[in-house]
Amino acid sequence: MKWLLRYSFLLVIAACIVFFSFWNPVFLSAGNQMNILEGSAILLIVALGMTLVVAMGGIDLSVGIALDFGAAFAVVALKEYDAAWYVAILAGIVGGCLIGLLNAVLIVWLNVSAFMATLGTFFIGSSVQRIFTNGGGPISHRRMPQEYRDLAVGDFGGVPTEVLIAGFVLILYFIFLERSILGKRIHAIGLQPTAALIAGVEVKKIIFASFIIAGATCAIGGLIASANIRMFTPLSGFSYLLDAIAAVFIGASMHPRGRPNVMGTLVGVLFLGILANGLNLMGLNFNTKDALSGVILVLALAFAIGQRRLTSLRKGQT
Amino acid sequence: MIAIQFVRKLLEWVPVAVFALMFIFLGIEAPTLFTPFTIDLMLKQAVPTVVVSLGLAVVIITGGDDVVSGGIDLSIPAAAIIAAAIIADQVTNHGTALPIALAFALLAAITVGALNAFLVVMIRMTPLLATLASSVAVVGITKMITQSKRINVTDPFIVFLRDGTVIGLSAGVVAAGLLTLIYWFLMHQTRWGMQAQATGGGREAADISGISTKRYQAISFLLAAFTGFLASMFVLARGSGSSPGTEENLLLEMVLATFLGAAFSPRRKVTVWGAALGAVLVAMLSVGFKSIGVNVFWTGCIKGALILIVVASAAATTRGRY
Repeated sequence: MKWLLRYSFLLVIAACIVFFSFWNPVFLSAGNQMNILEGSAILLIVALGMTLVVAMGGIDLSVGIALDFGAAFAVVALKEYDAAWYVAILAGIVGGCLIGLLNAVLIVWLNVSAFMATLGTFFIGSSVQRIFTNGGGPISHRRMPQEYRDLAVGDFGGVPTEVLIAGFVLILYFIFLERSILGKRIHAIGLQPTAALIAGVEVKKIIFASFIIAGATCAIGGLIASANIRMFTPLSGFSYLLDAIAAVFIGASMHPRGRPNVMGTLVGVLFLGILANGLNLMGLNFNTKDALSGVILVLALAFAIGQRRLTSLRKGQT
Repeated sequence: MIAIQFVRKLLEWVPVAVFALMFIFLGIEAPTLFTPFTIDLMLKQAVPTVVVSLGLAVVIITGGDDVVSGGIDLSIPAAAIIAAAIIADQVTNHGTALPIALAFALLAAITVGALNAFLVVMIRMTPLLATLASSVAVVGITKMITQSKRINVTDPFIVFLRDGTVIGLSAGVVAAGLLTLIYWFLMHQTRWGMQAQATGGGREAADISGISTKRYQAISFLLAAFTGFLASMFVLARGSGSSPGTEENLLLEMVLATFLGAAFSPRRKVTVWGAALGAVLVAMLSVGFKSIGVNVFWTGCIKGALILIVVASAAATTRGRY
């Protein structure tokens, strides 16, 4: 029974799948399944970065900025400096690291809370993009090297590269956060920073590094996005912020102790992917779709967290 | 040790000094900035932000000032714009009388507050997550109402809020000032306010001493949603109607203003008058920078840097957390 309650969110997902496939049988086709995975790849990568930060007891409102900087650095390297594709990828990741570094300096050295620090980074990062692009116009680069373009449109044995990249990042994060000593320490910091410090965990160093890793991870999402549309669109990363936070918390609600975790985040991301795809196939008006997906998101979060509370009540905890 | 204490004392004055220097600089660059006319203009610009900041201050005072686990309400601007959209849609597109349109709008805003209260108090969702999610849903529904179009409003009452004067001051400014007084009195002078502060200061202690903390937190979200409803009228007045995308800027200014206010208070606590003062200062800076010809793309950068300077200097005066 307890087991059933904890995983009841999976039943909600199943109900969504049944509903959408009755509405439009195309939903179940293999091609559409791949569409869902492809559509979820970037969000999964961003949400994994967010999982790391939330597991550590923080929050990162600047994931979108790190994504934008990843895309911008890579596209500018390709366009202005004629860089090779792998140099461009490296440049993009450095761009994301810079955002992570700014957050880390503010949080660890200057003692600013994660919310305020990443909010400040968000302001500054958005403004820098506007200044750089003279108001927010996209930087397009039509003659992109094929290797870079393949990040988004290539495939490997029939599986799209972006899905492979997201899968690879997922496995790395799973080993790093759920199976390594360092991962245990990160969870310890999230639960009890003072206890972790007393137990000899190098709290400051780990927090510092984690924000940089999260920034670099989000930049990978930016690389894929820019390769897909062959341009850098300023401020486009913002749309991933709420979905990433929602995915992390849906995932946390499925953990026995309510902790953010990698596999839970994957389930959260897939739920959001299924929802977006299914609503698209229903052919609704753009504004109606926005309203509906917002309402469903609130309901899903309320359900995910509400059932978790019920589970812990049964165990006699509050 | 004495040197460190001295440095801490100095740091306490950094937020005030930063703002003082900024205004001196603006005053020298643009001498017309501090004439009564421009000051009135700047205050008028600040009105919607002042009103929603009062609501955020109430939620933070009652919920505690830890941003992730304490109280925060990011959905007040969303409540304001859905109320504004309903008023505009009813009055302009359906010819409804203003009082009835206002009643619909009030109902919508209070529903948003009740939803937040339900999610936070009953479901025990983190306020940050709950209000972020409800804000997305509300913005989505607003788009459905307005079909992402601008709706003009020419109702005499709204126009009065924009252009009218009371005892020589703009009507909107007077209304916002009165509202600040009311919220200040409620939160800082009454028994109810003291118990709300106790709830925010230490939830368990308040619970043990017999305060119904759940009720206080639920009411704080309703009071916040109510400021959202009030702000909707000023949003309509400022923009002469409802336009899509107003909520983002309002959200950023609200958070900035409320936490700036905390940095100005002696104990670094969020207070009602601090939030109102913060909102006025933020609006004055926006207008000030515009009037000396700073590129508008830089405003985000300046605001971001400001918030970080103020918050970092506030953090430096307290002991490190790790």
